[in-house]
Amino acid sequence: MNEIQSMMTGVIRENRKVASDQFMMTVILPPSFPIPAPGQFVMVREANRGEPLLARPLSVYGFQKQDDHAVLELLYRLAGRGTILFSKMKPGDEVALIGPLGKGFTIPEGLTRVLFIAGGVGVAPLIFLLQDRFLTAETEKGKKPIFYLGARNVNLLVGLERLNGLCDLKLCTDDGSQGYHGPVTELLKSEIEGYDPKETVIFACGPTPMILSLGRLLKDNPIPCQVSIEERMACGLGACLGCVVAIRGPGRKREYVRVCLEGPVFDLKEVLPTSSVDMQGSENES
Amino acid sequence: MNPKSEEDRIELQDLTIAIGSMTLKNPVMTASGTFGYGEEYAPFVDLNRLGAVVVKGLSLEPRSGNPPPRIMETPSGMLNAVGLQNIGVRDFIARKLPFLRRYDTAVIANIFGETVDEYRQVAEILNGTEGIHAIEVNISCPNVKRGGISFGACPDAAAEITRHIRSETDLPLIVKLTPNVTDIAQIALAVEAAGADAVSLINTVTGMSVDIERRRPHLANVTGGLSGPAIRPIALRMVWQVVRAVKVPVIGIGGIMTASDALEFLITGARAVEIGTANFIQPAATMEILDGIKDYMIRHKIGKITELIGSLDTGTQGNC
Repeated sequence: MNEIQSMMTGVIRENRKVASDQFMMTVILPPSFPIPAPGQFVMVREANRGEPLLARPLSVYGFQKQDDHAVLELLYRLAGRGTILFSKMKPGDEVALIGPLGKGFTIPEGLTRVLFIAGGVGVAPLIFLLQDRFLTAETEKGKKPIFYLGARNVNLLVGLERLNGLCDLKLCTDDGSQGYHGPVTELLKSEIEGYDPKETVIFACGPTPMILSLGRLLKDNPIPCQVSIEERMACGLGACLGCVVAIRGPGRKREYVRVCLEGPVFDLKEVLPTSSVDMQGSENES
Repeated sequence: MNPKSEEDRIELQDLTIAIGSMTLKNPVMTASGTFGYGEEYAPFVDLNRLGAVVVKGLSLEPRSGNPPPRIMETPSGMLNAVGLQNIGVRDFIARKLPFLRRYDTAVIANIFGETVDEYRQVAEILNGTEGIHAIEVNISCPNVKRGGISFGACPDAAAEITRHIRSETDLPLIVKLTPNVTDIAQIALAVEAAGADAVSLINTVTGMSVDIERRRPHLANVTGGLSGPAIRPIALRMVWQVVRAVKVPVIGIGGIMTASDALEFLITGARAVEIGTANFIQPAATMEILDGIKDYMIRHKIGKITELIGSLDTGTQGNC
């Protein structure tokens, strides 16, 4: 896990709409920006702007290191004033970045079956994980990853171009406009018996209802599941204690841990999402 | 001017200030609850350059804090209702203080209790602990049901707490005051008479925010404490009221984001400042503020920071 954190100014190369409520920002950074691990996030704010005050946490969608610069890709949903202002930024504008932050996904040994469960913009860290860790020879021994991707409708399905050919893609829409008609967890439920718990792992990220439903589905199922959680954050560094989530700690005791430091990736069976914040849109002003 | 002579001039600036028996190398401190236990900020801040680190509030036993959501951004500020989540004073000494001892920076323990006896016990444990240079008493947290603000809103209760802690420790004693009172100078006078070596102000201003779509409060605790630039003019006004009322040093807190913000407080009479919400936005804010204060002193040919403190010229306006 990358423990190095850095504070840098990046320059926007591209900032474009990828769905009616989602944008992708490409940021050019100095080459010394530490390489993020899949599941890690960055705190982003517009440089030289005093308002909104706080940076917004965005998970890493893609990262490439070149000789003289690094390229960071961020996928974000318009969830409040902060992200709406992000969407108005132009190439050449500067962003202040802190990161990479948090604890990312852990890849267990001896996997042959990897399932990704994504809802909406929750696809971002999972695509980065798939591209970063499951394109190599070691996973070719196993079966092709299966990517369950859900959204409200076909126009909100994002990242398909990055997934084609890398996995078996199972699309779901709430209105049936593409793929399975219904929630992504409903499709998974109908197929879950086909996965051997001994050789399967699930990586998930999405809105609160999806995480809650996944929690119910896997309650009595031994398949391990790592889930990336979002919360409102002020600092991203562990100081403000604003982003906590309840978990079952040692001795099954309920306690609050910081999403920014102990997370954002948690074992689904430990985490008790009780927050009223929509995890997919964990904006500081929702 | 060549760079070397400029460097020499910077070194000539005397920024030291005294709080009780404690001398700080400069007046820039961190505010409790915004800087963790110091180590969270070590990648961004040279802790040796800080006047003091005020650590996250410590209670006798660990506290789990309030349920989320705990924070919400508001215009030029943020609301929080963390509820004093902390690892407890004993764990702090065992696990966090050794890191801070490696630095040549004063460590101020911010303490909290639900009862007078809890405050007293925390102070007793900290007294004589190597690496603790002062105690800041939080009688001003708006986000807990018992303790905190209930002591800070009444002069008699504030004085009683101060007396009890005073009897437990020889460490410099700073009492942190709440703005959620009718007359903050009254409270300041009461804790001064009870033996406080300094007062720090302000803690957060009680506030609230509502999600109109869900018709729910944005914070699970319903209300929270407002911090950030939104409260700075209130904080500065209260510092002004208190410096005229008490003889002990006043530490200014409230929405200080830049050196010029900090200078407003120092000129008004604050002996030192605590930087809070700014740390969340710009982790190195304290360093920029310190550098900016030095630049200002060079520009205004001020050799000692003490010449600047309380130098506010109100003409005839301030003598009401």
